[in-house]
Amino acid sequence: MHFSEDDLREALKRKDPGEGFTQRTMARVNQAGTEGTKQPATKKANGKFLAWWMLRPAWAMAVVAVLLLAFGIGGYQYSEYRHAEEMRMARVKQQQLQQEAERARDQAIMALEIARAKMNHVLRHAQLQAEPNDKIRRERL
Amino acid sequence: MNLATRKLTQFLITAVLCFSAARSFGQDTNARLQLANLDKLTEKAAHFTDVTLDGSLLQFAVNLIEKVDAEDRDVDQLKSIVKNLKGIYIKSFEFDEASQYSKGDIDAIRSQLTSPRWSKIVQSVEKRRNEYNEIYVLKNGDRVAGVVILVAEARELTVVNLVGDVPMDKVASLERHLAPGEKHSDKPKQKKESGHDQE
Repeated sequence: MHFSEDDLREALKRKDPGEGFTQRTMARVNQAGTEGTKQPATKKANGKFLAWWMLRPAWAMAVVAVLLLAFGIGGYQYSEYRHAEEMRMARVKQQQLQQEAERARDQAIMALEIARAKMNHVLRHAQLQAEPNDKIRRERL
Repeated sequence: MNLATRKLTQFLITAVLCFSAARSFGQDTNARLQLANLDKLTEKAAHFTDVTLDGSLLQFAVNLIEKVDAEDRDVDQLKSIVKNLKGIYIKSFEFDEASQYSKGDIDAIRSQLTSPRWSKIVQSVEKRRNEYNEIYVLKNGDRVAGVVILVAEARELTVVNLVGDVPMDKVASLERHLAPGEKHSDKPKQKKESGHDQE
């Protein structure tokens, strides 16, 4: 394919880019700039954090140990608290049961006392009725 | 004896045992009287005592009484009485005036004692003074399964219902100083109090 000199001149001649060329160009430049800097920034942050861990393993282990110790002590104290609370509840329940039992015992004794008194009362009346002498009977009643 | 016959025999024996157990349980339960019809008298009574002790509460009481390690004859006697008791039910009313309860109230109690298994062993009637005192016993073979003491006088109505194997001779011969902090004479001035079921 051959290009004549005129063809080349026509192709390479100056052309008008139109109005707002500068603004469009600057906008694209800015857009490309922000897209290019976003991702590398996150990577940089993760990298920093990891780098801290990698560079100070002793500190990292200390932090982990402190956290474990704190959780352990907290858990132990909570279980101790729960145990004490359960023991307290059991003691209260035991006391209530004891009081209830003592009340029941007193009632049983009182009931038997009444039963004894009434049984003897009926028996004495029946015995007195069997006695022929009405005068004696009245006196004893 | 083949397998089917053996199985049938085992089944029959089990059924008979279950029936006997249910029957004896039912007999003990039947020894309890329904005394709810007397509750209306609490309004009129000057003093009333209402004791309902059975089930776990009675068992607590029995356990506590059995724990008492005393060589006192009364405590021993008390232990032997409560050991086989299954229920203690008492309603006792004392009135300031005569005729506060009706004949119907008494008949409602007596009607529950008409079964042939109940025997009236003591009766004392003083019609002039309007006094009717009776003791009934529910027999279960040779053993006593329940006792009812009914004291109906002009100003007093008492129903004592003991359920279980009650050694009556021991109850009658109990000493008077058993009740803690309280002494009962044969005509006790009972405090106005109610049983645990009303607390």
